[in-house]
Amino acid sequence: MKFVLGMAVRETRASFQRLIFFFVCIAVGVAAIVALRSVIRSVRDVLSGEARSLIAADALIATNRDWTDDARATIDRRLKDAGATARTETIETPTMVRPADSAKVAARMVELKAIQPGFPLYGSLTLENGQPYSHSLLEHHGALVRPELLSALGVKVGDSIAVGTTTFAIRGVVANEPGRNLGAFSLGPRVFVDFDDMPSTTLLVFGSRARRVVLARVPDDSLDAMVTAVNQDFSEEFINARSYRATDDAIGRDFDRSENYLSLVGLIIVILGGIAVSSVTRVFVLQKIRAIAVLKCLGATTTQIMAVYLLQVMSLGLAGSLLGVGIARLAVAGIPLALGPSSTSLLAQVNYTINWRIALQGVTIGVLVSLLFSLVPLLEVRRVKPSLLLRDEARRPGRDAARIAAMVFVSAALIAVAAWQAASLRVGVVVCVGFAVLAFVLLLAGRALVRLISPMASAPSFPLRHAVLHLSRPGNQTRVILLAVGLGAFFIVGVRSLQASLLNEFNIQVGTDSADMFLLDIQRNQVEGMRQFLADPANGAGSARLIPVLRARITGVSGRVTTLESFEDVRARGSLAREYTVTYRDHLEANERVLDGKFWNGPSSEPEVSVEKGLHERFAIGVGDVVRFDILGKTINARVSSIRDVDFKDARAGGFVFVFRPGVLEQAPQTYIAPLKGPEGSSARAKFQHDLVAKFPNVSAIDFHEILATIRDVMSKVTLAITVVGGLVLFSGGLILIGAVAMTKFQRVYEAAVFKTLGASTGTIAKMLLLEYGVLGLLAGSVGSAGAVALTWGVSRYALDIPWKVFPVEHLAGVGTTAVLVAVIGVLSSLDVLKNKPLATLRAE
Amino acid sequence: MISLREVSKTVVSGSEPLTILHPLSLEIARGQFVAVVGPSGSGKSTLLGLIAGLDAPSSGDVFIDGVNITTLGEDALAKLRGEKIGFVFQFFHLIPSLTAFENVAVPMEIAGARDARTRAQRLLDEVGLTGRAHHYPSQLSGGEQQRVALARALANNPLILLADEPTGNLDTANGRHIMELVRDVHRVRGTTIVLVTHDAELAALADSRLIFRDGRVVEHT
Repeated sequence: MKFVLGMAVRETRASFQRLIFFFVCIAVGVAAIVALRSVIRSVRDVLSGEARSLIAADALIATNRDWTDDARATIDRRLKDAGATARTETIETPTMVRPADSAKVAARMVELKAIQPGFPLYGSLTLENGQPYSHSLLEHHGALVRPELLSALGVKVGDSIAVGTTTFAIRGVVANEPGRNLGAFSLGPRVFVDFDDMPSTTLLVFGSRARRVVLARVPDDSLDAMVTAVNQDFSEEFINARSYRATDDAIGRDFDRSENYLSLVGLIIVILGGIAVSSVTRVFVLQKIRAIAVLKCLGATTTQIMAVYLLQVMSLGLAGSLLGVGIARLAVAGIPLALGPSSTSLLAQVNYTINWRIALQGVTIGVLVSLLFSLVPLLEVRRVKPSLLLRDEARRPGRDAARIAAMVFVSAALIAVAAWQAASLRVGVVVCVGFAVLAFVLLLAGRALVRLISPMASAPSFPLRHAVLHLSRPGNQTRVILLAVGLGAFFIVGVRSLQASLLNEFNIQVGTDSADMFLLDIQRNQVEGMRQFLADPANGAGSARLIPVLRARITGVSGRVTTLESFEDVRARGSLAREYTVTYRDHLEANERVLDGKFWNGPSSEPEVSVEKGLHERFAIGVGDVVRFDILGKTINARVSSIRDVDFKDARAGGFVFVFRPGVLEQAPQTYIAPLKGPEGSSARAKFQHDLVAKFPNVSAIDFHEILATIRDVMSKVTLAITVVGGLVLFSGGLILIGAVAMTKFQRVYEAAVFKTLGASTGTIAKMLLLEYGVLGLLAGSVGSAGAVALTWGVSRYALDIPWKVFPVEHLAGVGTTAVLVAVIGVLSSLDVLKNKPLATLRAE
Repeated sequence: MISLREVSKTVVSGSEPLTILHPLSLEIARGQFVAVVGPSGSGKSTLLGLIAGLDAPSSGDVFIDGVNITTLGEDALAKLRGEKIGFVFQFFHLIPSLTAFENVAVPMEIAGARDARTRAQRLLDEVGLTGRAHHYPSQLSGGEQQRVALARALANNPLILLADEPTGNLDTANGRHIMELVRDVHRVRGTTIVLVTHDAELAALADSRLIFRDGRVVEHT
């Protein structure tokens, strides 16, 4: 044991410098796991204690229709029975807002929330500049707004804004509100007004998209029973109750999922480090063969020697993992600084710390992966014969049962580690198999490319010839560098191409003559006025059509395959129970074609409906089936007479899942929407929206250009996040590259000495190195880029359903950057190969 | 002490079998100093490897101190070498990552000796390397490296010292120094020595000489 410990310490001391980069790879992966998990855990600790604040109540009961007297009576009774101690109501609706000062030409869609004095029952509404919140700020037409609205409209506290048909004075700026801190998607900035002022806006007209909510404080022991009872009372109506516990559970599930998936990213980096460990151990053992033979000659057993190197790997794995925990600690400590001292977001209130159980988990993974990946190459120790000290004998490759058994064991153990991290065996298997397949494909591609360039080994240029030869020299690191760097390039180029692809797709749609603005909530009595407004050339709108729309819910299906008796049954089918916007017309639009059945010619008093292909496929609703709709309380049983394919990307005529046959819905209360081509230029568009809202206060305008900007913003954040992950992988690849250079440097130093002795100048050797690493980088970049092409094809075709397009600039930039990076890192790490004097090197050999 | 019975070694060279040691029987008594001489490729080093159990014979048996080592596994052979056999190579074969002192201490540490450090220092003193103990092999001259190798070979006080052309890679002065040390080992410790050499002067120090040619002993004096 003393020998094993002593030798492990000495070997580590002697080879630490050469091995350090590989264990930094382990450190980067462990840091990723520990930091990601710890941050999520820190945020979760705050949020799980704040579930009540997130919904601002113990329970909420919501509907997007008017409260009926019956419903109110039922809710009052249930709350009283449950011993509710407080209640308050809110109304939320998206709407347009403009400055009251008509000289300011701007309008913006906002999320309006009308609140009563009791709001919020939990948590608090905080205002900027330390201004205390009091409901009196809202009374008598006061408004509290988010800061982004001030800049969008060019207004300040004290100014007035027009909401609907009335004006509100801005009396404060909202910093934080319960439940709206997590960056969820919203249609616009929040505006708070007094509940009692809501009627004066006249926004609650027919067809409005207002959501009415009753919030209540209910004792814990009667909470669940009350929620269940309310949901049962309203099982056939569109009223839903939930408690903070459901939010808590949902938060828990979401956090579990994100924590597990994100830590898989860390695991992949650790595995990449593990591949490097495997490669370095292979080279290390090759370099140590003589020393191993000497040890065997001096009486050491194979087990003792294996123990020496396993202990060495374990101690370096431990050191790398501890370094990773240190890096994670620094990164996590830096989050509050990154958020800034003035940030009022809930995320800024989180106490970011490293969770020590997670740190221990990270260290365990780091050490385990180091051990697992070094096990197979270390088995080579068994095959070293001491007789090679007397006579150089080529070790005969043969079938090695122990090696195969070890490989099976290592694969199973890695799947177990991945499953542990993802908290799912299936995900563990998928990740490991997926990674193995990806690595295998990258390796094959790398090998094919190396073979492709092999004719350059007889190129007239001496440096180029030798650069190419070096890529397939014995003990080369070509495969591992191609894998590590190629994987990084794959992530980054792939994601950048996808981003370009998506943006290009949106740009095409916005750039053509198709509609780039939607007007919503046009009342029947506004149709004529709106037609005139849109037709007026002074307003600058292109051709527009007004389409009648109604909001409908499915409450039952009677079909050959699908039969749903009640709304409860429909609810069990998930999204089928959502509210649909439907229309009626007597013709197909240009973006539609009938796949099954027959589209009607004229009106009929018998209700008929045409169903979109996606819904038909998902819920097995086909021609001849009868779908029961609730349209504003009226039940309509419509027979499905056709299935349509709708090209939703062509939005000129809107895209409707359900289109009714004329003759039934004309007299029902309805609103109109108008897809149109808005004026050119942002100021013209702002003026158009401003004038529109001034004339039709209840009408909302959705501007595709703004949505595109939001999508671009979201996408750039997502791209940044994935690029960071790709960057980490590429960084690990860079470390592996430096390590690979350090590992094989002894060979290069000797070769350079021989070349110099034979007349090669330092410049020639530098060129050789530059070409070798440049070619290697070019190959790695090409492998990654080719992978990225495949990735964009798959995602475009199967996930996003957009036309596949190759972006040569992104790919060329990816390949070029990778080549330059690898060349620079490779040459810089080899500087002493250039500097060493040949005689000293040759003597040392 | 060392007994070889009809020991031969055949290897495959290309696709052809090549006999590098023809069947040989030999007895070397305890405390004897035997020199093995002959041209390169005559089978001298192969003989040494077979005695040390570094290599397995194609036929025959090798007995060391009464134990048939051809029946032993790799680990048992390693243990036997650690306890009974010291080896000196022409190319020293020191472990480059260890200092001179550590190289000498390793066999004792493997054997679990308690006084490894003291003995390692004493052995280095004996070979005249007191001040070079903490130098790495790359920082030592060839002669110094070979002296470290000799000290290492003597670490566990072996019954047998096998030396494969220990002066073959050294200049005259260093070769002479090593020669004197080997002679002292034989005289003072009574160690059985089998020495492979081209050097007639060194061979002359031995009690007997085996002359090899083409894998056969052609003379035993």
